[in-house]
Amino acid sequence: MSGAGSSQKGLGTRAIQAFALVVSFALLFALTHLAPQLDSRLATMTAIGFLVLAGTLLSELMEPLKLPHLSGYLLAGILGGPYALHLVDHQTVEQLAPVNTLALALIALAGGVELRVTTLRSVAKSLSVASLLQSTVVLVAMTGVFLVLAPYISFAKNLPWKALFGVALLWGALSVTRSPSACMGILSQTRAKGPLATFSLGFIMLSNVIVIVMLAAAIMLARPLITPNATISMSDFNVLGHEILGSISIGTTLGLLLAVYLRLVGGQLLLVLLGLGFGLTAALKYVQVDPLLTFLTAGFVVQNLSNQGSKLLQAVDQMGSVVFVLFFATAGAELDLPLLRQGWAIALALCLIRGVVTWMTARLSSRLAGDPMVVRQWGWTGLVPQAGLALGLGIVVEGAFPGIGTPFRSLVIAAASINEIIGPILFKLALDRTGETDTGEPVARPSLAPRAPVH
Amino acid sequence: MSDGIWLLLGLLLLAYLGSNLVGGRAIRGFGLPSGSEYLVLGFALGPHVLDVVGRSLAHTFEPVVLVGTGWLALVMGVGYVRVADRWINPGRAAVGVLLAAVCCVAVTAAVYFLAPMVAGFHGFQRLAIALGVGACASATTRHSVRWVVERHGARGPLADFAADAARASALVPPLALTVLFALSPGGALPSVPVIGRVGITLGFGAMMGLLAAQLLGRDFRRDESWGVMLGTGLLTLGAADRAGLSLIGATFAMGLALASSRHRLDIKAMLTPTEKPVLLPVVLLAGAYVSLKLPTAVFVLVGLAVVAKVLTRVWLGTLLALGPARGTGADFGVSMLASGGFTIAVALAFSTRFPGVASDAVLLFAVVSTVLGEWLAPAALRRSLGRAGELHMVAEGDGGRLSDAPDSLVSRESHG
Repeated sequence: MSGAGSSQKGLGTRAIQAFALVVSFALLFALTHLAPQLDSRLATMTAIGFLVLAGTLLSELMEPLKLPHLSGYLLAGILGGPYALHLVDHQTVEQLAPVNTLALALIALAGGVELRVTTLRSVAKSLSVASLLQSTVVLVAMTGVFLVLAPYISFAKNLPWKALFGVALLWGALSVTRSPSACMGILSQTRAKGPLATFSLGFIMLSNVIVIVMLAAAIMLARPLITPNATISMSDFNVLGHEILGSISIGTTLGLLLAVYLRLVGGQLLLVLLGLGFGLTAALKYVQVDPLLTFLTAGFVVQNLSNQGSKLLQAVDQMGSVVFVLFFATAGAELDLPLLRQGWAIALALCLIRGVVTWMTARLSSRLAGDPMVVRQWGWTGLVPQAGLALGLGIVVEGAFPGIGTPFRSLVIAAASINEIIGPILFKLALDRTGETDTGEPVARPSLAPRAPVH
Repeated sequence: MSDGIWLLLGLLLLAYLGSNLVGGRAIRGFGLPSGSEYLVLGFALGPHVLDVVGRSLAHTFEPVVLVGTGWLALVMGVGYVRVADRWINPGRAAVGVLLAAVCCVAVTAAVYFLAPMVAGFHGFQRLAIALGVGACASATTRHSVRWVVERHGARGPLADFAADAARASALVPPLALTVLFALSPGGALPSVPVIGRVGITLGFGAMMGLLAAQLLGRDFRRDESWGVMLGTGLLTLGAADRAGLSLIGATFAMGLALASSRHRLDIKAMLTPTEKPVLLPVVLLAGAYVSLKLPTAVFVLVGLAVVAKVLTRVWLGTLLALGPARGTGADFGVSMLASGGFTIAVALAFSTRFPGVASDAVLLFAVVSTVLGEWLAPAALRRSLGRAGELHMVAEGDGGRLSDAPDSLVSRESHG
């Protein structure tokens, strides 16, 4: 992802980018629609190429509108995905799942590296107050909102009140989820530095852990309410405790090993990250440990227990320049437009109210913590985006409550989609307005190529 | 964890090893110029020996093989016109292409003539196996020349000729495969004549290369450029594969077009480090793909093709001894027997398009050629350079002369 200052591009450059974008769409359209009878052994690879190229170009073309790059990536996925032009089909989108695994590992690693103890200490009060208030107020408020809006939600209107309360509680817990990927994506693009960037990053990474615990508690409490004859079981917490402790232990070990590697070898970091992203994630899932928390801890350890953090961050950034494009473009392709069209009104209402509650809570917590003005005014914007975590937890709920799971998950998808589109735009706008976006020219240098003619 | 993940991790490990060899200087100390050791390793892990990488698992990775072979062709194309910090000499390059073309035609003709009699190949299969073997016989790996030149600190006209001719010879296999794919029945363009399909393959690749070159813009930012390079590269590969065109031909043309960019050195510095990490897994998978469950007649045909290649190279060497390789006898011809990863990639590209006995035969020929070249070629080149008085003792720790990359590039590549 390019820096924020890369918007000084002429009309000629934009024309070439637009032309290339049209070519990429036309090429894939011709292949998939005009000659559908042709088999391709490289459907997934072609889709990767298309999504990366179209995502990169759309993000560049949207730069003059001051929109974040990841909106361009999402749009490329939406347009090319199975619900719009159908250039990339469902099966291919599913086959791109390993990319998500890799991207999430990189995002968590980068997130951990960005969390410096000294910085966290300086905003500790702010983070504690905000985490406490945002978690409780949003949970309670959104549970209440869901109860109030239940008559307008098809699958909820006929539920008995106990079950309805259980479902509302789950909704409240899911509303607390944020999007680490969107936050990292925007910060990586804008190279923002300042109180707002620090607060948002620290809060979102911390809220990851809180949300996992909160949802486990919500599921535990909701189960006897939704499922007749079920009782409250502490086994969920037992498993969760193992998962969290295991993640932190393995993450610490991984972080120390990474620091030693960076210190003694330091080379071929991209391949090492690929191995970790694919191989270690699979191993962690096998032993039922949370990969996101593990990589977050590893990045945190590298940053704070060694002096190798910047080296790791640079490598993650380099790889992320492609992987993040693909991650968000795939997310766009996965965006279920028919579902969104079906339930957009109620999803939009829920999103708007969540946004308002988040904003009011942020104002309150900022006042209590004595935050700087920029955080008071704009701190809420980074908390609006929702993406993979919400969708992932939606799947957990679906698995835990088969009776209401599918329509509940559909509502989660619709709401998260709206937040995924609007949230990053708000956050980037805030970073631009507060002057935290790095407006300097991105790292660039003229070509080394001599101007001598080719012999 | 699934077998796929384990294999992927194994391939990543190989890529890691390959990356450590990419610096140029490291290659002088260890490893074989052709990468035969990885071929043997792949064979040992394959279904015939340990069966760690079974046939079905190897085939699961077919897309990786296809992308790998195409990517190698792209890298070859980008670096085609430059050797180290100088342009490839047009005269020497023309001779290099001619030598490769003559070898390709001679071996193709021999196999085409012998195939029906020895192994009963007829029709298009006969043409396919002949041209496939011919394509694999044509290129001389530049790594072999580089290995000898660096190891022995060779300088002089013969060393330069060997470097230029080897690099130039890489043009022939993609062209041969492009023609072969265009000749094959089926595909997306049945109404287009063969010459048209060849033109479309090369033109499409070149167009995508020019598009990528334009997108790289005025200032070169490596991070952003990966999106453009990877996007256009994979799109080119995907479109060519879907249309039944030669992937290697399209991406090689794309590489050549990219080399026309004012950022060619940056692009080369960006892509060259990816060559070894891609090459070694591809070579390993090729080793696993090798099938020995073939009729005896096919082994005989492959043996005869190898003999035809050796005889052609010796004959060409004798001719060259009258000119640029004066005084080297047949040795210089033998030195041109060296083949490596690119030849293996060509054979793999062939075998994924034309599965069956013909593909097994072509892959076997490529493997045998590579191993044979490994035994004979570096020593022959060293003797030739010695006779030409171009060998210089290299002190321990001295980097010697890098034939393939200038210091600035190597240092960037090593750390990039």
